[in-house]
Amino acid sequence: MTLDLTLTEELRQVLDAAQQMLDTHYPVSRLREGAADPMAPLAEFGTFLLGFPEDAGGAGLGRVEEAQLHSLLGRHLVSPSAVAVSIAARIALGAEDVDLALAIAGGEVAVCAGVTTPDGPLLIDAGGAAHAVLRDGATLSLVPLAGLATEDAPMMGHGRALARVTSALPAGPEALPEVALLHDLLVSAQLLGVAEAARDLAVDYARTREQFGRPIGAFQAIKHHGANMALGAEMLSAQLDMAALTLDARAPDAGFQVAALARLAPRIALENARLGIQVHGGIGFSAEADAQLYLKQAHLLRALLGPHDMLSFDAPMAPTGKAPS
Amino acid sequence: MRLQLSPEDIAFRDAARAWLLDNKPATRAPEDGSESRAFALDWLAKLYDGGWGGLAWPKDYGGQGLPPARLLLWYEEYVRARAPSTLDCSFVALNHAGPTLIACGTEAQKATHLPRILKGQSIWCQGFSEPGAGSDLASLRTTGRVEGDMLIVNGQKIWSSYADIADFQELLIRTEPGSKRHKGLSWVICDMSLPGITIRPIRNMAGATHFAEVFYDDVRIPLTQVVGGLHDGWTTAMTTLGFERRTAAMALQLDLSVQVEDLIDLARPTPGSAMAERLSDLRAEAAAIRAMTYRVALREPATPFDGSLVRLSFAELEQRIRRAAMDILGPAALVHSGRVADYLESYSETIAGGTAEIQRNIIGERILGLPREARP
Repeated sequence: MTLDLTLTEELRQVLDAAQQMLDTHYPVSRLREGAADPMAPLAEFGTFLLGFPEDAGGAGLGRVEEAQLHSLLGRHLVSPSAVAVSIAARIALGAEDVDLALAIAGGEVAVCAGVTTPDGPLLIDAGGAAHAVLRDGATLSLVPLAGLATEDAPMMGHGRALARVTSALPAGPEALPEVALLHDLLVSAQLLGVAEAARDLAVDYARTREQFGRPIGAFQAIKHHGANMALGAEMLSAQLDMAALTLDARAPDAGFQVAALARLAPRIALENARLGIQVHGGIGFSAEADAQLYLKQAHLLRALLGPHDMLSFDAPMAPTGKAPS
Repeated sequence: MRLQLSPEDIAFRDAARAWLLDNKPATRAPEDGSESRAFALDWLAKLYDGGWGGLAWPKDYGGQGLPPARLLLWYEEYVRARAPSTLDCSFVALNHAGPTLIACGTEAQKATHLPRILKGQSIWCQGFSEPGAGSDLASLRTTGRVEGDMLIVNGQKIWSSYADIADFQELLIRTEPGSKRHKGLSWVICDMSLPGITIRPIRNMAGATHFAEVFYDDVRIPLTQVVGGLHDGWTTAMTTLGFERRTAAMALQLDLSVQVEDLIDLARPTPGSAMAERLSDLRAEAAAIRAMTYRVALREPATPFDGSLVRLSFAELEQRIRRAAMDILGPAALVHSGRVADYLESYSETIAGGTAEIQRNIIGERILGLPREARP
């Protein structure tokens, strides 16, 4: 079959193993401790070499596989450093610095994610990082951090560690267009994971929490919140596959598909996170419940996406015939 | 997972594109009445004669049994060519009655009806809803009394689309006296020309006459017209075939992408304007509906609820797209036109065949496993 969207047994095994690794090293409850996520368990799993060509020491798997893995990372609210590492290695490879690429992918050189703001660049979970993958509008580049002055900044709702760069940032190699597309594919994949996990948490709660003598999920208002979360997640998940497949096939509509994905992903993740908090009621508004974590992660990931002018692309479904009169 | 067209796929797609562009009608389907019937049947016959009929139907029943991947390619070319909407008066026959006969019908029933449906020689309508049985279909009360080898039917159906121009109706009635809810029903082929049937067409909010009330006054239907078991009509009504679930709405869902292109062409929005943002959202969502359509078609194994999520997403997006057309047209939309008709017709999308609210209940209960509401 040349058109087939069935998950292969091989990919299923990779994802099962990844799930075990994530349950062990990145349970969502870890975020209550406030410690930064180590990247070592992900590196040991081979996360960052999964999509590397085999002649460069990687597993040679496709975008579809890598996107699926990152959606699991998104479910576990893994630090955006994970996307940064994946992309930094590609940028280094594109700049023909194979040693740096392998050192980054192998976890020997730490990389964090960053984004420019009017008040200067912000770095996320930057502790120990030697480089940042910096999002600056349409540009995505790998900048060295050595010798830079930074100050800590409180993250939205006092979540992850943020640092603001207070000295001038040096320039670094820019991501090639296909790597920039891959970056937004992986960030969107994580946003899908956020949307799915927010849905699952809300559904579990609605099945067990009782009011008026029955589980609140039996009430149509709550049930429909759940259905809306399922609709959003399914839409995003299907578009993620489509974007990843067209990237893998080097299809002419890959840019269109990633743009559509990047437009939908933050909106759906934020909406599912919002509904997740709402379904939880009072406890959902508290810092003691996890529902709010998905909202903050969605905001964080959204900031890393590039701009995509959705109307600038040729449409794969452009009409061939005239509208009937 | 792969999405790569083989040389054979490309040849198929190119042949489909060329044929459709050469043969699709240049005019829009008439809104209603016998002209719309003639238009639909002509087009079906043309498809059949051109070798493009019954693509999804199994080969044993006169179809071509094409795999879902080929159907996707066909329907993409179909909607891109702006061929007639598949949601016309031929829809019930091709996508519901026919597949039900294939699944549950007798050999005689199949031999009588299936070739005629495929060749564009008969129109079917649905007789399920009643004034007191809408979302709660199992409360239906139209009766069929068994008398010798006949059923004597009395009662009333409503919202029966194209009943005024149909040859046959898939009729769901209560045949076991005193039975309740889903039990004791039968699914029957009703010849619309039988004595005792009165059809009162109902104009819809778009000003077209697509649906009707149907009254049955001692209508005599032979028991040989029961499809599936007598008194077991709920099972028949709920039987859907894999190809039917995968293909019935394919063209409609893919067509949203074409509709959005049409709107972008109509609006030509200034970059960065509110309309550009709105059309960007619609373009992205239509792309996602296409991706969901691919998933339902191309992912194994298919499950009974595969289509539920895309179906509701489609219905609500179609309404937003049609509404955007009105906002682009501005005051010009006050004058009735094809776009206005499409806009007004789109209000049925979240009502017909299961309201959006009922569909959300189904998603919540059967896909997410949330507790059921209290029901009788």
